[in-house]
Amino acid sequence: MTRRVHLSNLGGARAAILHRPHATVVALTRQLVAIGLEVTQHWPNLGSGALAADFVFFDTDLGHDEQFPWKPGVAPMPLVALIGSEAPGRIEWALNQGADAQLVKPVGDSGAYSALLIAQQSFEARREQAAKIADLRARLADRQTVVRAVVLLAARGLGEADAYDHLRQLAMNRRETIEQAAHRVLAQFSQDGGRNDRSEHS
Amino acid sequence: MAFEPRTQPTPSGARGGVLSFWGITLRKRVEIGLLYSREGNYARISEACRQGALSAIDAINSAPESGLELNAIERDPRGNIDLYQPLCTEILRETSARHVVGCVTSWSRKEVIPALEKAGGTLWYACPYEGFEASDSVVYTHACPNQHLLPLLSWTFPRYGRRGYLTGSNYIWGWEMNRVARDQIAAAGGAVLGERYLPIGDVDVTRIIDEIRATRPDFILNSLIGPSSYRFLQAYAALGREDAHFTAATCPVLSCNLTECELGEIGAAAEGLISVGPYFNEAQAVLPGAAASFGSSLEAAAYSAVFMLAGLLAQNQKHASANLGELLAGSGAAGSGIDPETHHVALPVLIAQVEDGQFKVQDRWPEVAPDPYLSHRDRVPAVHRPRLSVVR
Repeated sequence: MTRRVHLSNLGGARAAILHRPHATVVALTRQLVAIGLEVTQHWPNLGSGALAADFVFFDTDLGHDEQFPWKPGVAPMPLVALIGSEAPGRIEWALNQGADAQLVKPVGDSGAYSALLIAQQSFEARREQAAKIADLRARLADRQTVVRAVVLLAARGLGEADAYDHLRQLAMNRRETIEQAAHRVLAQFSQDGGRNDRSEHS
Repeated sequence: MAFEPRTQPTPSGARGGVLSFWGITLRKRVEIGLLYSREGNYARISEACRQGALSAIDAINSAPESGLELNAIERDPRGNIDLYQPLCTEILRETSARHVVGCVTSWSRKEVIPALEKAGGTLWYACPYEGFEASDSVVYTHACPNQHLLPLLSWTFPRYGRRGYLTGSNYIWGWEMNRVARDQIAAAGGAVLGERYLPIGDVDVTRIIDEIRATRPDFILNSLIGPSSYRFLQAYAALGREDAHFTAATCPVLSCNLTECELGEIGAAAEGLISVGPYFNEAQAVLPGAAASFGSSLEAAAYSAVFMLAGLLAQNQKHASANLGELLAGSGAAGSGIDPETHHVALPVLIAQVEDGQFKVQDRWPEVAPDPYLSHRDRVPAVHRPRLSVVR
């Protein structure tokens, strides 16, 4: 898959750095300010103010879950891990936080821009996927609803295949999912006491 | 900042560096590196920059009030990419020079940055480039895309159209220029009709010309360098003689890096070419009091680099040994014109077209702040409405 990096307006975006005062913070701040971001440094905790940040850079060496105002893995913005010790336990912890990109310490003259773009892209891809999965889950949960609606329609003398086609037609006419159409068929049926659903598709 | 006219050779505030005893002025000797290739594909560009740097050194050395005596330490990578890093290291290791004026291609600039970082040295880079860099070890004295490509395209769209053909040399300058151009063209509702690259030095432009002939764009963005570019312009001029659509009135060639220093090589094929830069030779008319002019914006940017450096050095007690961070933390930094965050400079933007072998300025913005990462929409200069006489 070819991915086009769209350069969103980084000018004026807010970056929060969760790291103790250190040369790494100075070097990273210099890079981020040159790119056009507003930078704040935080230690030992991020604080709820960080919820407004567009990017969070966090230290993996001394980091722990309680530093963040959200639960591990559900940060509402892209995260970049600042990795010093490449110990597997620390990397695992950074991944559990939901790091979208990383910068290896010591941070020098470059690396921040690519970390920002990669983190932003992975974060957006992750969010899109999560929304898609939630949608698929909901539709999966509605399988039974669809089956019941088809059975109801079939009970009026349509064959099973025709009943399904009919349901699909209902969904298409109202530009909704087949699951939503099935819900309406069932609702209409119970409203009519199970006797008449002609009003639905006349 | 506008480029300083040569009639004012004293670096701003340079008196801070002069030591005077009973009327005898002691001048600080400062070695500075020059790293320009004197042969190879882009030798003309290199030579223009080198001339600018050397004439600035002369001007400073012949002005006693500057308080400095600059000593050029020259190394010639001869157009060989693999020589830049070792020669830059050699300058920084074997001499007292902490500042190197040099490099033409982005490729060579990126090669020397690790050597500069290691030695605490600084590169003063005087060529237009593709942006997306703000190294702590580099000062960029020529234009980045919001000072060349963006104003050029927004000037071109209402005058010629939004359907472009993109070509360039096969390295980062061409790739990134065309990527930014693609975005701009798409955002303006235009179309990219073709995009093709040539290896540096390759002069087989047949396929590019064939594609242009077939797609009939409104303009061509040419980010080829050296002989590839010269050959392309000659072939395109020949195409224009076959079919009048392919002439400057209806389908001009645009460039962000073509200056006076290459016009001689291209000859009549350059007629009608539209280029953008912080300075054109004709622009002397708008610099009041300027007795002499620069041959090109490259010469002007290298000249200005040495002047900015000298101005900072003269005001710093450590003089020669001061690194860029120390210089920019000093009192002279604010007046130097160097943006402390990005190490780029605000520049005029001029759009010029070749007429009778010379660039004639068509439009200008007096000063545009640098935005190397294109992250500040407000730093894109507003488009001037075309004058009716320019619309063909």
